[in-house]
Amino acid sequence: MVGRFKILVVDDELIVRESLVGWLKKGGYQVDTAAGGREAISLLDQKDFDLVFLDIKMPDLGGIEVLKHIRVRYPQTMVVMITAYGSVETAVEAMKSGANDYLMKPFEPEQLTLLVEKLLQQRRIIEENLLLREQVAASEQVRYGDLIGSADCMQRLFDLIEEVAAVDSPVLLRGETGTGKELVAKAIHSKSGRRYGPFIPINCGGFTETLLESELFGHEIGSFTGAVRAKKGRLELAQGGTLFLDEIGEIPLKMQVDLLRVLEEKKFHRVGGTRDIPVDFRLISATHRDLAREIEQRNFRQDFFFRLNVIDIEIPPLRKRKEDVPLLADHFLKKFRRETNKPVEGIEADALELLMSYEWPGNVRELENAMERSVVLAKGRYLRKEDFAFLFRATAVPEEPRSLQEMEKRHIHRTLKSCGWNISRAARILEINRTTLHNKIRKYRLDAVERETDGRP
Amino acid sequence: MEDRREEPVFLEPVVSVCPLGDATAVDVRVVAANVQAVFDLGVDILERSPLPEEAFLADRRQYDAAAVLRHLDAMVRPPFRKILGVTTVDLCIPVFTHVFGEAHLGGRAAVVSSFRLRTNENGFKASIETYTHRLIKVALHELAHTRNLVHCDNPRCLMHFSPKVNHLDRLPILFCERCRYLLTQDWRRPAGMG
Ligand SMILES: [Zn+2]
Ligand SMILES: [Zn+2]
Repeated sequence: MVGRFKILVVDDELIVRESLVGWLKKGGYQVDTAAGGREAISLLDQKDFDLVFLDIKMPDLGGIEVLKHIRVRYPQTMVVMITAYGSVETAVEAMKSGANDYLMKPFEPEQLTLLVEKLLQQRRIIEENLLLREQVAASEQVRYGDLIGSADCMQRLFDLIEEVAAVDSPVLLRGETGTGKELVAKAIHSKSGRRYGPFIPINCGGFTETLLESELFGHEIGSFTGAVRAKKGRLELAQGGTLFLDEIGEIPLKMQVDLLRVLEEKKFHRVGGTRDIPVDFRLISATHRDLAREIEQRNFRQDFFFRLNVIDIEIPPLRKRKEDVPLLADHFLKKFRRETNKPVEGIEADALELLMSYEWPGNVRELENAMERSVVLAKGRYLRKEDFAFLFRATAVPEEPRSLQEMEKRHIHRTLKSCGWNISRAARILEINRTTLHNKIRKYRLDAVERETDGRP
Repeated sequence: MEDRREEPVFLEPVVSVCPLGDATAVDVRVVAANVQAVFDLGVDILERSPLPEEAFLADRRQYDAAAVLRHLDAMVRPPFRKILGVTTVDLCIPVFTHVFGEAHLGGRAAVVSSFRLRTNENGFKASIETYTHRLIKVALHELAHTRNLVHCDNPRCLMHFSPKVNHLDRLPILFCERCRYLLTQDWRRPAGMG
């Protein structure tokens, strides 16, 4: 880590150069030297340095001159001025010319060590955020409406949306909770010929049977207790546009028959009414359930399924497109920064790595919630690994007291699962080496546990 | 448990410890014994040597550690490969107000000074035990630098950088697993390659 940083020491006195170089090398840094300003400039032109120690007083070309050159040509390089003839004025002048800090000879060894660590830490954060910004910039084309994704599977999804939008057939979206099924439905709608019509979503799992019926079909006055006014249902509201039925698997069998009839006859009547109302909408439905199994178990009608499932689109879970995590994290960071007005500027690299190692059972929605929480609670300008520790603790429900061994076994198992059984990553999170992890997997027979639980249909 | 000790071997003489100026015989013996025990190396104590005059910096009333190291380096004689000086004078290098010890990274010479180890941060005199521990720690740390070890991130490792005596007091007289491994690798290298 430290060895990556390249430091240049510029001083005309050999003994100063030697002592500074010796010291920095013992710290593990890569160090070069220059005996004067001109030599420093030619070295800087040949090689990148993260940090330059610059003597203010040199015979051929003064430190301030070199500093000005660095500020113009290599603005990212950090500069610490060193002076033995230090007056407050020269130090002030140096800082005005853009030095990051200054030291007056002789200084405490601790001062040097702390200063170098501080500056290189700043450099690391800047680099990481540049990297993040580059990743995001490189992925501008990865936005598709409100959908974000650079992964191949997402690019295929965007292409599919284009194709599907061009026709008017019913679409069935399949995907785990939180994958963004509604966003895909909206994208199809907004690309389709119906884009000037309404987009009417309804979550079929969110209502009791009676209320769902009235939500969908509307009702006439007095049709059921509490129906004091006539009401248009969502089918009616979707006229000319798109109707999005989320969690279609939750629709009771009787209502499946009713909806099937609507789709076939393109007309319906309100609850408690007899008047036929013609309808014209595009149907997009979505489910996180395995409808084939529901059909087998007679919870879902096959004829209804065939009617819904003219075009079938599968939305990948977040764990299958982890390369999109930085992108999405950045997107949500900006969103919640706007909403909360908190000065959070970015995410540290190891925090990002942690986010990428997580399995995201709740998918993009879980990531969104995690980002909201960490932005709201953030103390610094950058989100750190610790800010996301809750993700790995969330599964800890109050439990009966257990043995240390049992806890270790469970913890290792959970970590392995969250890493998709990536041993290196799990070992890193657990802060043990891979051999130890392998030994523990064998000791607790965790691989056997995995086969059992995963083998279940 | 198996207890298969290896044949006792004569430790190859590797490190010579050199009393400089008025370093006490006790300090020198303690340092030598610990170098031998911790590094498992042959150690010998040299004749007392005066500090080189040119190392004295009159304006700072301190000794230039680099000049002391040059002086020690010139004293290395086969079969010894490393030399460790023990001194009571205040050492510094041009950029630093003081150092507890100094060594050439991957070089042959190292030096430890007791000057700043006798008092605590608060100005009180340290107990003899605390003082001795500090002296040993700095000596081992500097000697490890001559074996190419750089500072270690592990705060429970003797190669962790400690600029103050209270930091030094928190360190164990032990190297972390990684540094221990690097040390054994380095000692195994034949003379002339390190
Ligand atoms: Zn050191
Ligand atoms: Zn270490």
